[in-house]
Amino acid sequence: MSSDQDHLKETDTEKRFEFKKEEKSAFEAEKGLTEETIRVISEDKDEPEWMLERRLRALEQYKEMPMPDGWPGAPDLSEVDVDEIVPYIRPDIETRGGVDDWNDLPEEIQDTFDKLGIPEAEKNALSGVGAQYESEIVYQNMQERWEEKGVIFCDMDKAVQEHEDILKEYFMTKAVPPSDNKFAALHGAIWSGGSFVYVPEDTTVDMPVQAYFRMNSDGMGQFEHTLIIAEENSEVHYIEGCSAPKYSEFNLHSGGVEVFVKENAHVQYSTVQNWSKNTYNLNTKRAICEADGTMEWVSGSMGSKATMLYPSTVLKGPGATDNHITIAFAGEGQDIDTGAKVYHNAPETKSTIESKSISKDGGRTNYRGLVHIADGAEDSSTSVECDALMFDNESTSDTMPYMEIQESKVDVAHEATVGKIGDEDVFYLQSRGLDDDDAKQMIVAGFIEPITEELPIEYAVELNRLIELEMEGSLG
Amino acid sequence: MSTQVHANLTEAQVEQISDDLGEPEWLLETRKDALAALEELEMPDVIRTPGRTWTNLDALEYESLVDPLDYAQDKDRVDAEGVEVLSWSEALDEHEDLVEEHFGSTVDPQRDYLTALSTALFSAGTVVYVPEGVDAEDVKIRTTMNSQSLFNYTLVLAEESSSVTILERQQTGETTDADQYYSGIVEVVAEENAYVQYGALQNLSEETYNFQVKRGHADTYATVNWIDGNIGSRLTKSNVETRLLGDSSESQILGAFFGHEDQHFDIASRVWHEAEHTIADLVTRGVLDDDARSVYEGVQDVGREAWDTSSYQRENTLMLSDDSEADASPKLIINNHDTEASHSATVGQVDEEDMFYMTSRGVDPESAKNMLVEGFYVPVLEEVQVDELREDLDQLIYERLRE
Repeated sequence: MSSDQDHLKETDTEKRFEFKKEEKSAFEAEKGLTEETIRVISEDKDEPEWMLERRLRALEQYKEMPMPDGWPGAPDLSEVDVDEIVPYIRPDIETRGGVDDWNDLPEEIQDTFDKLGIPEAEKNALSGVGAQYESEIVYQNMQERWEEKGVIFCDMDKAVQEHEDILKEYFMTKAVPPSDNKFAALHGAIWSGGSFVYVPEDTTVDMPVQAYFRMNSDGMGQFEHTLIIAEENSEVHYIEGCSAPKYSEFNLHSGGVEVFVKENAHVQYSTVQNWSKNTYNLNTKRAICEADGTMEWVSGSMGSKATMLYPSTVLKGPGATDNHITIAFAGEGQDIDTGAKVYHNAPETKSTIESKSISKDGGRTNYRGLVHIADGAEDSSTSVECDALMFDNESTSDTMPYMEIQESKVDVAHEATVGKIGDEDVFYLQSRGLDDDDAKQMIVAGFIEPITEELPIEYAVELNRLIELEMEGSLG
Repeated sequence: MSTQVHANLTEAQVEQISDDLGEPEWLLETRKDALAALEELEMPDVIRTPGRTWTNLDALEYESLVDPLDYAQDKDRVDAEGVEVLSWSEALDEHEDLVEEHFGSTVDPQRDYLTALSTALFSAGTVVYVPEGVDAEDVKIRTTMNSQSLFNYTLVLAEESSSVTILERQQTGETTDADQYYSGIVEVVAEENAYVQYGALQNLSEETYNFQVKRGHADTYATVNWIDGNIGSRLTKSNVETRLLGDSSESQILGAFFGHEDQHFDIASRVWHEAEHTIADLVTRGVLDDDARSVYEGVQDVGREAWDTSSYQRENTLMLSDDSEADASPKLIINNHDTEASHSATVGQVDEEDMFYMTSRGVDPESAKNMLVEGFYVPVLEEVQVDELREDLDQLIYERLRE
């Protein structure tokens, strides 16, 4: 994998971009964010008027809102200058809306996704794949048997055109309104790409669908939007993977994810995030879960310079359940500020949060969480468990949970532990013939097992591999 | 933000308080500086999450609460052999150098608006001086507030290898229907190998707004233990803090509160591990009935140089009413990896199975509930080493349950 990384760095050069501009007239927006830029993006996408209106309104909100850095210990965002990023790059005019055959992709993009192992995974384990390169989906495919059942898995631009009524109702209106925070507003103004997943009633999609997002250009922002609607009694597992190579300038990733879990439906949303270490990863992800529905968030946060990500769920109907499993790994120069937010707004709702973090070589991990139990959400229960593992004395690990409990008939438990890697464990493994590094890797693998168990085997392997590379210090 | 209060306070008032206590110039200057700083200072930090400020200190109407020159109070001080328990005038007469050295050493006189207000206006208080090597028995301080506002300042100096236990009771004498304001600052300096246990039991009238900062510094091998019992007051903002500055120093912070009607408790326990082999244990239990509300913040901050740290925190809240509300935020801030730390927080109600068990044994439901609530406090009460304080706290809980 490390040689793949090197290879990616070699192929992602300016030269290739120049070539594309000449040959395919790929569209690249001006740096910075103005009303004009937004009109241009919207026009380039041939969007209906209402979407342009929503973008412009979000831009106004963006301008008025403060940076989300006023919290205790929040990552330093002073370097984030939206005027310095390119908000929109369409990689290739021919691929608009996504091709459905990997062979139809431009060679370089094909090559990139080959290196990332996406086509291989598609063959073996997935119901469908969407692949985004820069700002647009370039590949989209869904197995026929799901399409026949009415399952929709397409890119968001296509969804705006073809499923306008659904989009009008759900797009940034109920789950993630632009007013949520400054970067949600930014996202609302310049979002591009992402996936739309619609699962009809009584339909179980028993293999995961996946979207893969890759950022290639220096100094660009990626703002993909994901909208998942699981109708009553349906079930789906969505996997999102991301990566970007390292450049000198900073990149900004500010995605928006909205999930609607209807009555008795079940959605799992898994992410393995491995942005390059100059990326600011500032996302807003929220699910709204109706009666007896289940939402599961599984997140691995490996890369980025700074991450602020707190997937949240509103448990709106009685009997709704929310589970979070997160793992954060912060190496040198990284600040991973992540957690979970759950609103219990109905009786008999349940949530569990299991958060694991590893910090090493001066990295910082923080669990920042909020559990809110509203008055009337009786017989609800929540349990929060945070464990932190620290490798050395340059690293830091903080836990900042908040609990707001307005109902007496509840069961709330929070627990957090911090420890160093046990010398005894290392000694034991060494005495069995493992060298120091292998012993530590094995302890970490054991530590994160609750997460890898939740992922399909391909992703569990990928996550383990990423952690191994991170521990060797060989990831750029 | 502070102008409405400042308008009511003058330097002349501060001078008069200082004069009444027979203070030296340096203390008067400290007061005047604090008074002047009120213009600039903010209210104490409270927990804020997006869209929410959990304790609204700005809602207090200080102008009508504070009357700087009226500080009627009863003060009982029971001293013990070997230890000097002094009023401020006495302390300044007899140990001015020590007071000057340690005043404001653990609590910054201008830490925030309310602390500065206390520094400028304190008129009541006690200095407890435990000379080197003295093992003192229990010291008891009872403060009864008989005026609309009272500013109390306690300084405890425990010299090398000394030990002392201090019990402080705060209560209201003649209650009026008007709002009252009580402000208490406690500074504890525990020098090498000293042991200080400071237990406070606050049972102020429910018209009283109560602001307290208790902060100790523990030197090498020293121990600073706190007990913070909160029963009374309408609104309490209490900060109990220890900095573990010397190797192998320790601190325990025990908290217990019982809120009913529209009481609001904002309780913080904080400990900073700043040296090697330091140990902290934070235990708080609270019960909420009626519309009462609690905000709990617990901070365990392990510094970069705090090798081999052990730090534990537990917070449990029991809710007896649907209209009560509890907020909890136990925080861990870890900068040294050679640490064993954990915290936990729970919120729940009286266990139904326990209730069923007891009622099936013939105990009526009301008594069963009361017994279970009393039982809930046991893990904290058990840790209270001072019999008298434990019994008093237990009694107040008992009375509250039967109101």
